[in-house]
Amino acid sequence: MESFLAPADYKSPLKPIWCPGCGDFGVVQALYRALSAVGRSPHEIAFISGIGCSSRIPGYTTAYGFNTVHGRALPIAQGVKLASPDLLVVVAGGDGDGFSIGGGHVPHVIRRNVDLTYLVMDNQVYGLTKGQLSPTAARGLKTVTSPYGSLEQPINPLLTVLAYGAGFVAQATPADMPGMTTLIEQALRYPGFSFVNIQSPCVTFGQEEQQLRAHKERMKPLASMGHDPANQLAALDLARAYGTELYTGVFYRNPDPPPTYDALIRERQAELQRGEPRPRARVLEAYLRS
Amino acid sequence: MGPTVGIDIERLTLRDALDLAVLVEEEARDRYREFAEQLAAHDTPEVADFFARMARIEDRHRAELLERRRTLFGDAPSTVERKHLFDVEAPGYDGARAFMGVRQALETVLAAEVKAHDFFDEALPRVKDPELRAFFQELRDEEVHHQLLVKAELARCPEKTDDSEAYADDPVAQ
Amino acid sequence: MLEDLVVGLAGSGGDGVVSAGESLLGAASSQGFYAIMTKSFGSQIRGGESSCRVRLSTAKVLNPGGVLDVAVALNWEDFRRFGAELPIGPDTVLIHEAKAGAPPTDLAPPGQLAKEIRAVPLSELAKSAAGTDRAKTSVVLGVLSGWFGVPREALERGLEKKFAKKAEGLLEANRKALAAGLAFAIENPLARPRALARPAAPSPKLLCDGNEMCASAAIFSGCEFFGGYPITPSTEVMQILSRELPKYGGVVLQAEDEISGVGAAVGASFAGKKSMTATSGPGMSLKTEMLGLASLAEFPLVLLNVQRGGPSTGLPTKPEQSDLFQAAFSAHGDVLRPVLAPTSVEDTFSLTVEAFNLAERYQTPVIILSDQEIAQRKETVDPIDVSRFELVERLRPTEEQLAQGYERFADTPTGVSPISHPGMKGGNYLAAGIEHDRKGAPTASGSVHAAMNAKRFRKLDPLQDRADLFQHEGPQDAPLALVSWGSSAGVAREAYTRARARGLPVKLLVPFLLYPVAEPVYRAFFASVRRGLVLELSHQGQLYRVLRMFVDVPAGVTSFARSGAQPFRTDEVVARLQAQAEGL
Repeated sequence: MESFLAPADYKSPLKPIWCPGCGDFGVVQALYRALSAVGRSPHEIAFISGIGCSSRIPGYTTAYGFNTVHGRALPIAQGVKLASPDLLVVVAGGDGDGFSIGGGHVPHVIRRNVDLTYLVMDNQVYGLTKGQLSPTAARGLKTVTSPYGSLEQPINPLLTVLAYGAGFVAQATPADMPGMTTLIEQALRYPGFSFVNIQSPCVTFGQEEQQLRAHKERMKPLASMGHDPANQLAALDLARAYGTELYTGVFYRNPDPPPTYDALIRERQAELQRGEPRPRARVLEAYLRS
Repeated sequence: MGPTVGIDIERLTLRDALDLAVLVEEEARDRYREFAEQLAAHDTPEVADFFARMARIEDRHRAELLERRRTLFGDAPSTVERKHLFDVEAPGYDGARAFMGVRQALETVLAAEVKAHDFFDEALPRVKDPELRAFFQELRDEEVHHQLLVKAELARCPEKTDDSEAYADDPVAQ
Repeated sequence: MLEDLVVGLAGSGGDGVVSAGESLLGAASSQGFYAIMTKSFGSQIRGGESSCRVRLSTAKVLNPGGVLDVAVALNWEDFRRFGAELPIGPDTVLIHEAKAGAPPTDLAPPGQLAKEIRAVPLSELAKSAAGTDRAKTSVVLGVLSGWFGVPREALERGLEKKFAKKAEGLLEANRKALAAGLAFAIENPLARPRALARPAAPSPKLLCDGNEMCASAAIFSGCEFFGGYPITPSTEVMQILSRELPKYGGVVLQAEDEISGVGAAVGASFAGKKSMTATSGPGMSLKTEMLGLASLAEFPLVLLNVQRGGPSTGLPTKPEQSDLFQAAFSAHGDVLRPVLAPTSVEDTFSLTVEAFNLAERYQTPVIILSDQEIAQRKETVDPIDVSRFELVERLRPTEEQLAQGYERFADTPTGVSPISHPGMKGGNYLAAGIEHDRKGAPTASGSVHAAMNAKRFRKLDPLQDRADLFQHEGPQDAPLALVSWGSSAGVAREAYTRARARGLPVKLLVPFLLYPVAEPVYRAFFASVRRGLVLELSHQGQLYRVLRMFVDVPAGVTSFARSGAQPFRTDEVVARLQAQAEGL
C-alpha cells in the first residue's frame, strides 16, 4: 500500500536530546522518509529500542515506541512481533547496546528469522555515558576507560550478523542520505530479519577521523564495485574489511527468503486449531480421573 | 549521486522547475528551523537566533517562488515532492555544533549556498528549453548573490575563533 | 479401619519405585481416595537413589504427612540416603527386600524403630512370577493390596498405564508378579491388621501437580503468550503450554535465556496480550531488571516462581520458601508488586487466575510464589467449578479518549490509566523504563517522578482490603496464633485441627496474598493474640520478618522456620503450639 502518509506524519513533537551534529539526526530523517515510502500507519508500527543516545529514537517518531532496558530490545521486540505478527516491528540501538550487553540475543533472533528490522547506530563509543570504549572500537583507541589504548580487537557487526545467517545485511552512513534512505526502506520491506549497520558518528566523543566529512571521502558504494548482493560468500569477504573500509549498500540480500518465524508459527497454529481443541474453559478435563 | 532522486532534469518543465525551487527553499527553511531548535536546547542562543533568521529568509524566498508559480500555473498539481530532494540547499546535519560561534554558522550557510549553486550550475548543461535555462541561471546567480552576502557578513565577523566551548561545562553522562 | 495411610517407597532409579507409587496413587484416586504423592531423588539423571511417598485418605489430604505408616525399602543404602524425608516410627510397618537382610541398627533413634518389620522375598517372587527381578515393584503393589486393602483391580489399571505401550508380555508378567505379592500377603498376614477404609461415595477427581494446574489456569485465564527458559522445578509449565497454547492461537517461546524469555513476555504485554513466564529462584534473579521495567512502564505480567533451595544454584530439586524477600523487594527503586502464594495443587488454579486478574486490573507484574513440593507433587482435587471465576481484562481507552488526545499515564484517581497497544489507532505512545510524564515523554522532574510513584503505588491500595485472599480459621478472640504460607500451610492446617481437638485456644491465618502486606487484615487478626508461631521453610523466616516491617506483630509470636528440604511435620508443630500455649 503506497503511502498517503508524509514523512512529517512520522515525526513526533518530542525534541531530540542529541548533540547538534549527531549522525542520528540524519538517521531519523531517513527513517521518516523510509516509513513514508513503506506506508504503514504509525499506529501499526512498534518501534523498540534499548538504552543509549540512539535508543532515544522511538520517542522521536509517532509510532508506538518502547524504550526498554540496555541490551534487551531484540528479545522484547521478538515478543511484540510474535504476539502481534501484523505489526511492522523496527528495533534500534547502538553498537554497545546491540553487541556488548545485547550480544547474546543476536544469534537467536537471527536464526529464528523473526520478521523485524534492526537498525544499529554504530559510532564505536558509548555516548550517553560519556565516551567509554565500545565493542566496535578499533584496537589501540584511547578512551576514558582505555586511557592507554584498548587492547581488544573489535567485534565486526557485519561479519557477525552475516555469519549467523541474516537474510538482509547492509551498511549506511548519513553522509549519503539518499542511499541510507533507500537501504532502510529495503530493510523494512525485506520479509525476515533485516539489519542495517549505520555509521552514525558521535560529535562529542567520537574520533575526528570518524566524522561525517570523513565518511564522504572514505565511503565506497558496493553497487559501484560490482558486488552481487545475492552472493553470500562475497558479502562475508567484503564484511571482513569493517573498520578499514567504509563499504555502503547491501552486502547480502537472500534471493530466496526463507519463511519467517512468525509465519511458521501461524501455520502451525492453524494446523493445530483444525483439530478442534478443547475450549479453554474445559482445560481441566484433561486431568479428570474416574 | 546528487541531492535529488527520481528527478530527470532533462524532462523537467518550467512548472516542475518552479516546484522544485520552492521545495529547495522549503527544505532549507526546515533545516534552519531544526538547527535553531537544537541550538536553543543546547544553550547556544546567539547562533540559534541566527539560524532562525536564516529560516525566515529561506521562507521568504520560498514564498516569492511560490507566488511566481501560482501566477503562471495556478494550483495545478505538482509532480515534484519533498521525497525527491536530499539537502539541495539545506545544510547537512553535520553543520551544527553545540556552542558553535556565528563565524562557524556563517560557514555552514556558505557551504549550503555553494552546494545549491553547484546543483543548478551542474543542471544547466542538461536543460534544453530556453525558458527553463533562463530560470536555472537565475536561481544559480541568486545563489552567487547569497554567497556574496554571507561572505560579507563573514568579513564583518571578528577573526578570533569563538571560545564559547571553552567556557561550557563538561558533557554530562545520562 | 484406617482413614489415612502414608506409604513411603525407596530403592534405586532402575527399580521403578516412582512408577509403583504412581500406580498406587492412580489406584487410590480412582477408588475415590484423596491422595498426595511426592518424589525425591539423588542427583543422577537416571539410576540414582529414588523414592516416593503416597498419602491416601478418605478425607481431603492437606500435606504429604510425617512419619510413614508403611515403609518399603528395596535396599538399605538407598533407603538411608533419604534420611528424614522417610521417617519411620514404632508404628511403621517396615517392609524390606528379604535379601537385604535385617535393617541397620541406626535406621531410627533408639526405641523408635518399627515394631513390625517384614522381610518379603520380592526379588524371588518377581523372578518366579514374571521371569525377572525387575518386576519386584509389582510384587510390592500386590503386597500392599493384601496387607492394606488397596483394591487389586485398581492397581492393575496402574500397571496397564505403565506397561501398555511397552514390549508385549510385560503387562501380563507384571500382573502375575502383583498376584504373587498379593498371595504372599494373604498367606503371611500382618501382626496387627491395618486395612484402609473405603471412601463413602467415590466421585471423579482431578489428578495433577501444581505445574499442570498452573498451566491449565493460565490457559483458562486467556494467556496468549509464554516466554521462558528451562529450569527445574518449573520447566513443566513451559512444556505443557508449548503443546497447548498454539492450539488457542497463542505463542510459546523457549528463549535463549531467562532474560530474553521474560523480555519477550513483556513485549507481548506491550502488544496487548495476557502473557506469562515461569522460572525458579536463579531465573528470578536474572529477570529482576525486566520486573522493574514492567513496573515502571505499567505492564501486566504474570511470573511464576517455583521456589527451590537457595541461594544461587542451591538445591534444585527441593522445596524452600526463601524467595519472599526477592519477590517483594527485588528490582532497584521504589516498586510495589503483588505476590501471591498457593498452598496446594488445588489452590494453584484459583491463585493463578487471580494473578492474571490482578496483573490486568492493576497493570503490574504479579509474582506467583509456588514451591517445588506443590509444583511437582501429584494431588487429587475435587473438580473445580470454573464458572465462578471472573476474568479481568486490562482497562483500554474508549474511542472518545483516543480521539481527545490520549494520555497513557494519565493521573487518574485510582491510579489505573487506560492502556492502549500497537494496532489501536489514536493510542500511540512511548513506553519506557525511563521516568515519564502523563504522555509518556521522558522526564527528570522530581515532582513528576513523585506523582508517578504515587500513582504506581496508589493503584494497588485496594489490595489492603483483600481479606478474601486470606484463610482464617478459629475464634476471633483466640490468644494463640498459627500463621503459615505456601506448602507449609498444609502442615499448619492439620496442626491447627489437631491442636484445637486438644483444646488449645488457637486460630489460624494462611495468607495467599503475601505482598503488599494487607495491614488491616493482620491488625484485626493479631488484636487478640499474645503468643503464636509463623511457620515457614526458610533460614531467615522471611514472612515473619516482612510482617514485622509493616505490622505490630505481638512479641509472643515467634518464628518457627528452618532451611528447606526439611518439611515440617504436624506433630512437631502441635508440640510447639502446646509449648506456646503454656506461656499464655
